[in-house]
Amino acid sequence: MSVNKNLKILIVDDFATMRKVIRNLLKQGGFENIVEAEDGVAALKVLQSQKVDFIISDWNMPNMSGLELLKAVRGADDLKELPFLMVTAEALKDNVVAAVKAGVSNYIVKPFTAEVLNEKIEKIVKGMAA
Amino acid sequence: MDYSELRQEVDAIASSFLFLEKKEIEIPLAGQFLNQLEEAATRADALGAAEVKRLAGALSQLLEKVVLDGVDAEKGYGLFERGIVLLQAVVDGYCNAGRYDGNMEDFMGELASGIGIALEAQTTTAPNAERASGEPPATEATPAKATVQDESLLRDFITEGLEYIGEIELNILNLEQEPENKDYINAIFRPFHSVKGVASFLNLDKIRILAHDLETLLDKARNEAIAITPELIDLILDGSDTLKAMIGQLRDELEGREAGEEIDTSDIIRRVKLAETCAEQPRQPKKLGTILVEDGVINESDLEVALERSQVPPPRKLGETLISEGMASPKDVSRGLRKQAQQVTDSNTIRVDIKKLDDLIDMVGELVITQSMIRQSDTLQSLGDRKIVRDLAQLASITSELQRSSTVLRMIPIKQTFQRMSRLVRDLAKGAGKLINVETVGEDTEIDRNMVDEIYNPLVHMIRNAVDHGMESPEERIKAGKPEKGTIKLRAFHRGGNIVLEISDDGRGLNREKIRQKAVKNGMISASDNLTDPELNRLILLPGFSTAEKITDISGRGVGMDVVKQAVEKLRGKMDIQSAEGRGTVFVTSFPLTMAIIDGMIVKVGNERYILPTVAIRQLIRPDRTSYNCIVGEAETINVMGRLLPLVRLHDLFEIEPVHRNPWEATLVVMEGEKRSKCLLVDEILGKEEVVIKNLGESLKRIKGVSGGAILGDGNVGLILDPEGLFEMAESN
Repeated sequence: MSVNKNLKILIVDDFATMRKVIRNLLKQGGFENIVEAEDGVAALKVLQSQKVDFIISDWNMPNMSGLELLKAVRGADDLKELPFLMVTAEALKDNVVAAVKAGVSNYIVKPFTAEVLNEKIEKIVKGMAA
Repeated sequence: MDYSELRQEVDAIASSFLFLEKKEIEIPLAGQFLNQLEEAATRADALGAAEVKRLAGALSQLLEKVVLDGVDAEKGYGLFERGIVLLQAVVDGYCNAGRYDGNMEDFMGELASGIGIALEAQTTTAPNAERASGEPPATEATPAKATVQDESLLRDFITEGLEYIGEIELNILNLEQEPENKDYINAIFRPFHSVKGVASFLNLDKIRILAHDLETLLDKARNEAIAITPELIDLILDGSDTLKAMIGQLRDELEGREAGEEIDTSDIIRRVKLAETCAEQPRQPKKLGTILVEDGVINESDLEVALERSQVPPPRKLGETLISEGMASPKDVSRGLRKQAQQVTDSNTIRVDIKKLDDLIDMVGELVITQSMIRQSDTLQSLGDRKIVRDLAQLASITSELQRSSTVLRMIPIKQTFQRMSRLVRDLAKGAGKLINVETVGEDTEIDRNMVDEIYNPLVHMIRNAVDHGMESPEERIKAGKPEKGTIKLRAFHRGGNIVLEISDDGRGLNREKIRQKAVKNGMISASDNLTDPELNRLILLPGFSTAEKITDISGRGVGMDVVKQAVEKLRGKMDIQSAEGRGTVFVTSFPLTMAIIDGMIVKVGNERYILPTVAIRQLIRPDRTSYNCIVGEAETINVMGRLLPLVRLHDLFEIEPVHRNPWEATLVVMEGEKRSKCLLVDEILGKEEVVIKNLGESLKRIKGVSGGAILGDGNVGLILDPEGLFEMAESN
């Protein structure tokens, strides 16, 4: 069973180049339906205006960090179950554990390959289905 | 006690666990468990169920390890399964009996070793942790300029990366002013983080590694593991410069230009690593502005403009405005900020109001006197109690140690004064159209904080004199065969309990012929007087003397060197001028290190007691009759180890009836003045004491040979003698 490649994925990162990198990697995995936001605040706006199936968010952003975005998402009734993949370069315990406690679906550590990203997405989506 | 809620919580964890399909605790569930365990631990704590709290905590740690891939998933699952069963049993025990009687140590031991082993295999440094999450380790062997397929990505990275690094420069100045503001650290942290992230995808390993190390450093600063010091700021700026250079090279390469030599990052990385390991105390920041003006980075009007613009909404920091308006470079601004901070304090220092320090030192002074009075109390001494004698001796040594260390508190390096003076030279030189270099020597020489302000004005006047009169214009210098650019040297060193400050220039030197003419014209000397060169030099120190041909806005407004000399002498200082025509002039001033105390030798002449500064004493002797020489009409001399030194009779100078008149019966103190030594004849030496100098008041201030008064240990007042003054008195008699 393979994941529906039509998932609408929201990439949240303040660094445009990084968004492009992730977009490219997603494309390699066959995901084409992608929207972007430059920080947590912008991401929440996107979430209000359209239905998104999956969030890939950076940890470290101005205005609203990835963790704050996660908490906001989990705090909204209609977004409670939204798959949320946290991208982090600081695989430091505190950060990841805090995200895990806040209900992150999974996390991924930079740099990653298209394969690993794919694996994580599949794992999350399948976990949700079960 | 109601354990039912605790039991529900634990049962909820157990049932969620039971329904797991795979032998693996996935992240969302681990998160749920972590929250539930935390809740259970809190409840257990409130109920006093220590074992529950401890076990729940241990299971949380286990889950954290599972989440971080620190233990094998299946092993983690197995351990957690047993743990949760045990937890239920412990909670049962509390529900039924209010305590748990079973043994959970076996499991705890196993858990600890299970996590511990994993820990061992999994040291917690960031790069390893990254690898732990199943990602292939970054290809370490890739060359710095990696093969990048997606050129457009690289272009994006270059543009955005440079922009981000520019952001670092602006934010770092804010940080320098408010090191405790976490927002600023974050604002710097983020760009490094982003640059590193993208660089890692693009296989730009050298950039990634440096950005990573800088990020780690900032992370430590953010977590207050290391302090934001000027050095750290410098290091971060250097780091971002290096990153900028590397990204710039990438761009050159991409655009087919010569990229230049590969940048070596090993040094900066080594410095970053070093900084990570040393922790220092945070320092106190202060305002900016004037420092930059003093440093000549900007001028006053620039500053005003910048300050105004900073007020325009959105308000910005002065440093930010200066940089974004292009009025100063980030490095200059940051250096200015740092300089200011350094004036106040180095690392590991606190700032104290100078008034408090003065009060403290005064009180210590009084304490010294009081203890001395107690020690010499006749009543106490008549007791003859050995313990009291011993205790008093102890008290004396402690107080004198206290006094020494409290005086040192107020000592600061002369550096700051030198910096102000260097700045002044540059300003004055610019105004006078002269080219002048400033060299400083002995910046670390220390002086009492209270002296610093006092000596500044006389020094300024000497500097002005050197720039305005001493130094020639560039044209004149070239004509005279000298380098176009002159040099003014500031030198400080300690000599004989004094700080000596020299201001020397390599200018035209004093025109002695002109000085002589002027002195004759003013009636100071007669045309027939035959003065030696040093005597001629010193003429300019006399009141009403000025050789300046034109009045400039710098000096020559009628205020002559005599004012400087008086100011110096008021501070118990000495002043001299050396000059060689065409080669330059040296102003030599010496000041006591402190105005507060003096280490003195108490001497007795007749019934009077005097204090001689110990620093000026070379020897104490009782000479043989044969070493005394008296040539009629000439001075009396004493042969001291082959040197003939003039004899100065203190009783003559102060008109006292002495006990001894013959040097071989009295005691001689060999004293050193600025340039010469003399033997001072006194009746006897009473002892050595550190005395607190008391001002004699306005009316007695100018008495020659006396520099102050002090309360002696026995409560009597003694006069502190000034050797140089005594010598002058003796010479003029």
